[in-house]
Amino acid sequence: MSGAKTVGLNIDGRTVQAPAGTTVLKAAELAGISIPHFCYHPAFEAEGNCRMCLVEVEGLPKLELACSTVVKEGMTVRTSTPRILRSRKDVLEFLLAEHPLDCPICDKAGECKLQEYYDRHGLFAGRFVEAKEKRDKKVAIGKGLLLDRERCILCTRCVRFLRKVTGTGELGVFERGVRAEIGTYDGVPVDNNYSGNLVDICPVGAITDADFRFKTRAWFLKKGPTVCPRCGRGCAVVVESVSGYPLGEKQRRVFRIRAGENPAVNGWWICDLGRAGRRDIDENRQVRITRKSAPGETVSWETAIEEIAGRILGIPQVQRGARIAVVLNSLLTCEELALAEKVFAKGLGLPGVYFADPTPGEADGFLLTGERVPNARGVLEAGFSPRLPNLDALAAPVEILLVFGSYLLEHFSEEAISRALAGIPSKFFFSAYAGPLDRLADFVIPIALPAEKSGTYINVDGLRQTFDRAVEPLPGVVSEREILGCLADGLGLNRGGPDAC
Amino acid sequence: MSEDAVRLIPADDSSWRLEAYLRRGGYEAARKAVTSMAPQDVIAEVCRAGLRGRGGAGFPAGLKWSFVPQGGTAPKYLCVNADEGEPGTFKDRAILVRNPHQLLEGMIIAAFGVGIGKAFIYVRGEYDRIAGRLGEAVAEARAQGFLGREVFGTEFGLDVVIHFGAGAYICGEETALLESIEGRRGQPRLKPPFPAVVGLFRSPTVINNVETLANIPLIIGRGADWFLARGLPKDGGTRIFGVSGAVRRPGLYELPVGTSLRTIIEIHAGGPPEGVSIKAVVPGGLSAPVLRPDEFDVPMDFDSLSRAGSMLGSAGVIVIGDRTPIIEVLKVTARFYARESCGQCAPCRQGTSWIHKIVSRMAEGRGRTADLDLIRDLADGMKGQSLCPMGDAAALPIHALVSKFREELEQAVSR
Amino acid sequence: MSYAPSPATLKKIEGMIAPYPERSAALLPVLRAIQEESGCVSPEAEAWVAAKLGIRPIRVREVLSFYTMFRRTPAAKTTIQVCWNLSCTLAGAEDLIGFLREKLRIGPDGTTPDGRITLETVECLGNCDQAPCLQIDGTDYGRMTKDLAASLVWELEAHE
Repeated sequence: MSGAKTVGLNIDGRTVQAPAGTTVLKAAELAGISIPHFCYHPAFEAEGNCRMCLVEVEGLPKLELACSTVVKEGMTVRTSTPRILRSRKDVLEFLLAEHPLDCPICDKAGECKLQEYYDRHGLFAGRFVEAKEKRDKKVAIGKGLLLDRERCILCTRCVRFLRKVTGTGELGVFERGVRAEIGTYDGVPVDNNYSGNLVDICPVGAITDADFRFKTRAWFLKKGPTVCPRCGRGCAVVVESVSGYPLGEKQRRVFRIRAGENPAVNGWWICDLGRAGRRDIDENRQVRITRKSAPGETVSWETAIEEIAGRILGIPQVQRGARIAVVLNSLLTCEELALAEKVFAKGLGLPGVYFADPTPGEADGFLLTGERVPNARGVLEAGFSPRLPNLDALAAPVEILLVFGSYLLEHFSEEAISRALAGIPSKFFFSAYAGPLDRLADFVIPIALPAEKSGTYINVDGLRQTFDRAVEPLPGVVSEREILGCLADGLGLNRGGPDAC
Repeated sequence: MSEDAVRLIPADDSSWRLEAYLRRGGYEAARKAVTSMAPQDVIAEVCRAGLRGRGGAGFPAGLKWSFVPQGGTAPKYLCVNADEGEPGTFKDRAILVRNPHQLLEGMIIAAFGVGIGKAFIYVRGEYDRIAGRLGEAVAEARAQGFLGREVFGTEFGLDVVIHFGAGAYICGEETALLESIEGRRGQPRLKPPFPAVVGLFRSPTVINNVETLANIPLIIGRGADWFLARGLPKDGGTRIFGVSGAVRRPGLYELPVGTSLRTIIEIHAGGPPEGVSIKAVVPGGLSAPVLRPDEFDVPMDFDSLSRAGSMLGSAGVIVIGDRTPIIEVLKVTARFYARESCGQCAPCRQGTSWIHKIVSRMAEGRGRTADLDLIRDLADGMKGQSLCPMGDAAALPIHALVSKFREELEQAVSR
Repeated sequence: MSYAPSPATLKKIEGMIAPYPERSAALLPVLRAIQEESGCVSPEAEAWVAAKLGIRPIRVREVLSFYTMFRRTPAAKTTIQVCWNLSCTLAGAEDLIGFLREKLRIGPDGTTPDGRITLETVECLGNCDQAPCLQIDGTDYGRMTKDLAASLVWELEAHE
């Protein structure tokens, strides 16, 4: 940005240019020097209570906090002198004095700041031989969150988050001195759509999630950054899963979803609805291709697509518009929608492609949008005008119906759908989840979820975000991109290229 | 003018009323400042007088006032620190009870000099039963036109609010005091920003101790030179020394800055009782590192005590007799800081509690020699690394006790 | 059961709020006024104060639990607070405390068997030349010899 002042300073012998107003902590980060800290978080003003980020500033007699000292032209800062190394040991020793030796049973092990800094800056023998304060270790503070007061180092990130980000203020600090403790007010638990962030920001294992408690170890988790598909915001998320060891060789399980950092979309936070998406990735999944005419038989999806293509080709070109119906959804990626447009609109000349999506909900005034699909803009960009199918329109003369997604039931009753579909000779379902409509289809093909594939979504502000596969797909699932590519081939629409099957 | 007219604590208990105060020249200095001086000149005179803060930190009062940005229409505040929580200190109490008008007059002059329109007097909660006279004095001063709008018929006005604390030593720390007036837990703030720029309700604020302000009418009324002549060249005026402990005449003694500790203890307070000799003296309130008998000739001024490794602090002189085991002193000290730590920062919260636990164990007869080194190390870890000066206040006296009385403590431990 | 201060206290409270540029700043004086009338600040009173000052009840509890002079449960009829800081300890505060505990038959909860008198230890009361010191319901007593303490106990127990 032209016009913004930069300041030149010296950190550990290196010359650093930082924008005016930056803290020493941030300036050091820009120079690749990380200064340890607990209570500081970029989302909040400096708090200064952990004392871990103390550094030497030439000309000043005392050590200064890197998190709250603003850079000045010509400042000289040192971050690893013997005095500072001593200071870090002191602070760690104070924090560890009353800290319980819970590592073997603490969920935070492996991603705990106290562990990390002790490893890097501590490594001293413990000298505390007194009786430790006994405190509550499993306080339910709301929304499945558990507070362990023995582990808490009173950095107050949680309190500040609820005051400054959600504005709900459910947590406070009570008592004083070593008796100081964090808690809720009588009968007023944490209850907002961003409570899960408290677990992310707690630097130690004081606030944990009952959903994750004791289930696995942080170091087993494979971290898959992707874009959350549960609403139109497109928050950066990290899906954390295990495939194989220590689960069974062919097993895959998603253990949690955490916030990814994206200054342009969600900053450092995600909503609890996004976190709850963890279950969607594992539970109630469609895993086998089922064929109504031969239930026990195993058939490959390529074979199924061949058959579908065959039946479509069996209908004369001019009649396809009236006799073929397609229902899509807005969780398809831009790439998949482009293919769908090529196959159904251009290729088969279908005048209308229907859309059945998760029903909208209420926007929460922060990240969660009213629309509960990730790519409504992508649908429009691909040239579609999304509308729900009229069930009567699905009756005769429609002979072939392809339904992508499992959301018809959000709009119509099972009975109504059954009746409408009864008269359609060929029905093909492509869905990620098992459902009561499956028995109606000739073929049910298991689909990959957004976390299991790569692609692009356009969020509610028009921002394009491309993501990679975040978790190992369940064996047998296939992405819509592969299906549509293969179908295009089968219909003679695609002349080779990356989407050929 | 009789000596009594310039005493911070009048000898006669009935002379606290406005009538009596006026008779001994009260509110003349305020009138002079408000009606005939420029605000900058008021500040300059107080700077020249070398008046150092009488609460504990000893920061030059005039200099502190000069940090407040001049002009502007935003409100500015004066906070009077009457929290007096430093153990061994009981002088501000006496001023509130026996000379409240001199405090108010000092506040008027200070507010005029800095451009302040509202003052809060923060009185510790434990003084609420004795603060009646202060309230009455405020009413008297208002009725007379010395407080409120158009003081002395000028554009200057000053409102005074008395705000009581509720039992927290830490609220004597200036930013914790501000937090407390704002209706919050008394947790000190990070500095910078300093209160002179961002203080009470985010406005420029001056915080001064009661005794500091009580000296202001004398400085403006009689001049900086007069004030300096009563003390030392860079540290003017008198101090009210509060003497307690193993002495014959515990009490308050207003004496020139620079009077020696030995003079205070032996001449004024009458020395130790029959059969008792002095083992140690805390010179400036509990947070001031202890002095041994060979150090008693130290002049009681900020710089001399600083050079001696201690501090003048609140001038609370606590005399410890030879019959008192140092482990007792250590126990009381460690316990105090552990109870009063606000808990905000790790070094003080954990350090004061840890030291208290070690000392308690030692006092119960289960100490080890290694404990003494450990206590010193922990004190070092708190020093200069806590969020507010209380970390140092807790660390330094404990460090001194363990260092200067090592032998006695080692013996106590090995028994 | 909801809380409301008496009309006199309400008037006092409103007078206390007026001088502060922000209502919420009046929290400490308002809590004092409520405690003066009711002996403590109950959860219902917390809710009332929170509404009156436009803050969340949790902020009221945070403040109540920080300052030692606030009580959240009713106090005994008489509270004796004995200083055990340095000057008073040098003057025999420990013995005094032991003496009072014995004479009043103070239990582990700090109260007499009939619950009418509470004995607490406190830090420096700012009255050091009168050591050993104590406060009874906020009023200072100094130079508390054992004899004086004994007659004090007698007086307290005689006056219901």
